[in-house]
Amino acid sequence: MPGLADTLYNTIFRRNSVFVASIFIGAFGFGLAFDTASNRFWDYHNRGKQWKDIRDKYATPAEGE
Amino acid sequence: MALPARAVSLKPFNLASTVRTLPSGVPSVPGINLYAKVYGADHGHDHGHSLSRSDVPPSWASGIRLGGGSKFESRTVMNAPVSRGMHTSTKVPSANPYSVPDWSHYKTESPSMNRAFSYFMVGSMGLLGASAAKATVTDFLATMAASADVLALAKVEVSMSAIPLAKNVIIKWRGKPVFIRHRTAAEIDDARHVDLKSLRDPETDEARTKRPEWLVMLGVCTHLGCVPIGESGDYGGWFCPCHGSHYDISGRARKGPAPLNLEIPPYDFNDAEEKIIIG
Repeated sequence: MPGLADTLYNTIFRRNSVFVASIFIGAFGFGLAFDTASNRFWDYHNRGKQWKDIRDKYATPAEGE
Repeated sequence: MALPARAVSLKPFNLASTVRTLPSGVPSVPGINLYAKVYGADHGHDHGHSLSRSDVPPSWASGIRLGGGSKFESRTVMNAPVSRGMHTSTKVPSANPYSVPDWSHYKTESPSMNRAFSYFMVGSMGLLGASAAKATVTDFLATMAASADVLALAKVEVSMSAIPLAKNVIIKWRGKPVFIRHRTAAEIDDARHVDLKSLRDPETDEARTKRPEWLVMLGVCTHLGCVPIGESGDYGGWFCPCHGSHYDISGRARKGPAPLNLEIPPYDFNDAEEKIIIG
């Protein structure tokens, strides 16, 4: 375990530039993952109620307009 | 100012202490527990130190019991011995009161682990803070963006099949006229064989059209903003009646006071529905 801790420290935490850069990259990834996860949960929670789920019942084939 | 109506009515009343009174006048309390312990007794909360407090009177000093004829008898011995010291906590069950407690579980086991953990927590907080700040800024900027109904109004669709060859159509887009001309092959050929050096605002026809047969332009004269008339003028294109500017079949200024070619709006073709989408 100390080996892993030292590796982490030496790769990321030692230089502040690397630390801050990894924080920003991590924030970007975290935001993306959080949005995806919350959207997926929302769609799952409201499945069958949203327009994209029921539009097949109402949309007519786009012909003869 | 009127006081609000009182929501709660408070009336003092006495609860009946028992359900039954004996003929002697003493209330009947059959289930009362006369063995309730006095304060200071450890109600099982002694946390392992089963030592009674020193300032509690001894149990024989006071008491209550049910006497004859269902009468309570209470007895209190005055001057019962109570030792009250500087503190009332129980004694520490330690063989040597001067021994140092065992603090060894506070000792640092791995400095590198502690360091990595501290930096990790700092970084995690920074990560959360950065994403929160980004979300705040993004949402704030999103409030300034055009809403969906405005965006829907900002686009105009024109059916391509409704415009025959060599015909002009004028439609309204964002309050301005837009000219759409379905050009013939001869007109395209004409527009593409113009010496660019002779033009006031040199622009090739290829640059002005996405598809040569469809010319889409903003119908506002670049001179003073009149609306030019189609299929007229010396160059077979448009002619502005206000001050006599002539535009060719590609909408380029050729003669008169107009300084620039007619402007091209952003537009796109939807081949599936045969439509030109302006905006």
